[in-house]
Amino acid sequence: MNARYGMVIDLDKCTGCGACIVACATENNVPPAAARATWRTGITPMLVQKLTNGKEGGERREAFIPIACMQCEHETPCVSVCPQQAVELDQKTGIVMQMPQRCLGCRYCMTACPYHARYFNWWDPQWPPGMEKSLNPGVSVRMRGVVEKCNLCHARYHVAVEKAAAKDKKEIDIADYVPACVEACATGAILFGNLADERDPVFAAAHSPDSFRLLERIGTEPKVHYKTKQDWIRVMADRNADRPTEAQHG
Amino acid sequence: MKVSRRDLLLGTAGAAAGIVFTPVPWKLLGDVSIWTQNWPWIPQPAHGPVETKQSVCTLCAAGCGMRVRMAAGWPVAISGVSTNPITKGALCPLGFAAHQLNWHPRRLREVRHHGRAASWEEAQAAFERACAEGPVAVVDGRPGRSASGVLAAFAEKHNGAYRVVLGAESQALLPYAEWSGTPVSALGYDLEHARTVVSFGAPLLDGWGTPGRFTRLWSEKAAGASNPELRLIQIESELSHTAARAWRWLQIRKGSDSDLAAGVARVLIEERLVAARGPLPAVSLADACSQTGVSELAIRELARVMATQRPTLVIAAESNASVAALNVLLGSVGAPGGIIRKSRAKEGPVPFEANPNSYRAILIDSTVPWDFVPRTKAEIFRFAAWDGGGLEADWLLPCPGFLEETTDVPSAPTLGVEPYAIATNLTAPAETIKTAAQFLAKIDSTLPEIEKLIQARCSEIFEGRTGTVYGDQQTPVAKFESAQKLEEQLRGGAVWVNDAPKNGELRCAFREWPGETASSAVTDWASTWAPAVFPPLAAKLYQESKLREAPGRRPA
Repeated sequence: MNARYGMVIDLDKCTGCGACIVACATENNVPPAAARATWRTGITPMLVQKLTNGKEGGERREAFIPIACMQCEHETPCVSVCPQQAVELDQKTGIVMQMPQRCLGCRYCMTACPYHARYFNWWDPQWPPGMEKSLNPGVSVRMRGVVEKCNLCHARYHVAVEKAAAKDKKEIDIADYVPACVEACATGAILFGNLADERDPVFAAAHSPDSFRLLERIGTEPKVHYKTKQDWIRVMADRNADRPTEAQHG
Repeated sequence: MKVSRRDLLLGTAGAAAGIVFTPVPWKLLGDVSIWTQNWPWIPQPAHGPVETKQSVCTLCAAGCGMRVRMAAGWPVAISGVSTNPITKGALCPLGFAAHQLNWHPRRLREVRHHGRAASWEEAQAAFERACAEGPVAVVDGRPGRSASGVLAAFAEKHNGAYRVVLGAESQALLPYAEWSGTPVSALGYDLEHARTVVSFGAPLLDGWGTPGRFTRLWSEKAAGASNPELRLIQIESELSHTAARAWRWLQIRKGSDSDLAAGVARVLIEERLVAARGPLPAVSLADACSQTGVSELAIRELARVMATQRPTLVIAAESNASVAALNVLLGSVGAPGGIIRKSRAKEGPVPFEANPNSYRAILIDSTVPWDFVPRTKAEIFRFAAWDGGGLEADWLLPCPGFLEETTDVPSAPTLGVEPYAIATNLTAPAETIKTAAQFLAKIDSTLPEIEKLIQARCSEIFEGRTGTVYGDQQTPVAKFESAQKLEEQLRGGAVWVNDAPKNGELRCAFREWPGETASSAVTDWASTWAPAVFPPLAAKLYQESKLREAPGRRPA
C-alpha cells in the first residue's frame, strides 16, 4: 500500500527554540548564511515564524509556527508549473520531491507555492575551510541557481528502505524513518508518520478536532497538519499564510 | 541522385526543426544543468565508513546526552539520546551544529602572546616565572570534573588559589547556600514534583539549566492547557520565548523583581496564606505596585495561586535574595517540588574574588565563559578553543575543541539529582593544542592524571552501590560486576544517576527580609553561551529568519 508521510505539529508545544531549523540545515548540508543573506534570500527549508495576537503590553501573546514544504497532495502547485519535471509527487510515499539536478532555476515553483516554502540558492554553497568534513555524506550539496525545499529528509527514507530490504521486508519500519526536525524537537511538538495508516498515531492526531491545515480552502490538501487548542493561534496562522507578512519568506 | 545546394539547406533546416521534437535538446539541457552543479569548487561530503557513537555534550555545563554520527572518522551529525534520563533526547539548537565549531574561522591553533605567535615553551616559562614570583589563581568554570581536580591540586601545591566562576543559574542558588551553610554545588531544583513554577526572568523554556529537562516536563504537563497540571508563571519585563508560552505572563518594570517578591510576601503573610511567620518586608503593597507597575489585584492573585497550587517553586534568573526568600516562606526549601539538596558534599569551591589584584598571574580554564574579564594587573593565561575577541589576555593558549578532549561531566547547576558521565574524545586535536591540565602537568609532573581520576571516580561509584546507569538499558550499580565494566559503559556514553537523597536535610532561615537586589538581565542561550563563538549554522536563527535577535544586538 502506498504511504502518505506527513506531520502534525502541535503549536501549543512549540517554544520557538529553533532546534528544528538547525537540525534540518545540518542534516541536509545547507550552508551557513552568506554575508548578504537575509530572511528573504537565505535557505531555511524549515522556518519557524512568530505569530502574535495583535495586542500590546501585558495582553500581548506570541506563538511559533514551523513552516516547511506542506507536501500538497492535490494539484500540487509546484509540480504543475515546473517546465523541467524537477518536482514530482512520489506516488509511493506522497513526498513532493525536488530534484536539483533537473532544476533550471526559473523559480516558477516559488511563485506558485502558496506557502512560500521554497528557497532559491543565490550563492555558491560555502563552508569555512575544513568544515566540509562535517557534511552529511547521505545528501548532495546543491549548486547556486537551483531551488530547494524540505523533502522530509528523503535520504533517511532511503536508509530505512535499505534496512527493510536487508531484512527481506517490503515496508519500512516507521521508527527507522524520522526526519531531522522531528528528532530535534525538544518538546515533541512534531509528530511524523504515515497519514494513510489508521494505526499510526499521526492519523488520529491529524483527524482530532484541534487539527487544521493552512489555507485549507485552496484545496491543495497539504500533508502537514497543525494543532492548537487556542483559537487565536489558528486564526493568525492561517492569516499569516494567506497574507505574507514581513516575517515570511516571500 | 544529385544533391543540390537547395536540398542541403532544406535537409539541414528540417533536421534542425525536427530535433526539437526529439528528447535530444532536453537531454542536453538536463546534462548541462547537472554538469553545472558539479563545479570542482563545490564542497563534496567525505565518504567513508559510517558509524554512530554516543557521548555527552561539553559545550556548557548541562551535559546533555548526544548521539554522534561519524563518517570517514569525522562527526557529521548530532542528535539527542532518548534513553538519557535527564534530557530524554533533547538538545539545544546550538548543540545540533556544534560539530562544525572545530573548523570555525576563529578557532585557535597557536599560542599567542599579546596578539603575536608564540610557543608553548615561552608560555610555560612565563607561567613558571609567575608561580615563583607570587601567588597565582587558577580559575575554573565547571568545578567537579577530574580536570578541576588537577587544577585545584596545582593551586594547592604551588601556594596558589583555586577559584570558580559561577554562572547565573548557580548564582540564583547562592542565597540558599548562604542561609543553609550548604555548598551551591549540592543544591538543585526539584522541578519534577512542582505544581507551580514561578520564574522571575529565568529563561526556563529557552536553554535554562539542562535543555530538555524542563521543556519536556512543560510539554507533558502544561502546554496549551487552560488548567494545566504544571503552572508556569513567567514574571518578566519583556515577552520572551518563555513568557510567550507560559500559563501566565506578568509584565513588570525592569529591575523590580525584588519589589514584586516583597509585595507577594506581604500578601502571603498578611492573608495568612502560609504557615511560616517570617519577617515582614519593609516594602508596602502599595509601594510594590508602584515600583513594579503591577496592580494590587494581580499581586494578590499571584500570591494566592502560589499558596494554593503548591508545591510552588520560585526560580530567579540570578542571585536575588528577595525572590529566594519566597521559597522559604512557601515551605519550598528541603521539600519535594522545591529547592533540594542533591548531594552530601559539605564544602564547595570558592568563587573568584571581585578584587583579584593580589595575584601575580591568573590562569583561566577554557570552561570559563569568554565574557569573564578580571579587572586586574595580574598576567593572564587564557585557555580557549576559539578566539572570542575583546579580551586582552596576555597569553592566549589553544585548547581542544568540541569532541576533541576526554573529560567527565558532573551534575549541572540546576539539576535535582547527581549524575556522572564521561565524554570521550571522538576526534584527535592537533598536536599544537593542550588542555590547562596538560599544561600544568608539564610544569609539575606529580599532579594527578585525569584518566586515573576518572577511574577513581568510577570505582567510587561502583563501591557506593547506589544509583543506576542509563545506557541502552537501565542497570543498577549494584548489578555491575566490576568498576571496569561500569567505566566501560560510561565511556560508551551511558550516564550514572545517583539515588535522590532524602528531603528535609535542607533548612534555610533569615532574620530580616532581604534587601533589594540589582535587577537581572534578560538571559537565554544567546547570552549565556560559554564558548567564544557560535556554530555558523546558528545564523539561521537570527540572520536567515526573524526568530531571534542576533547575539551582538541583545540588550545588556
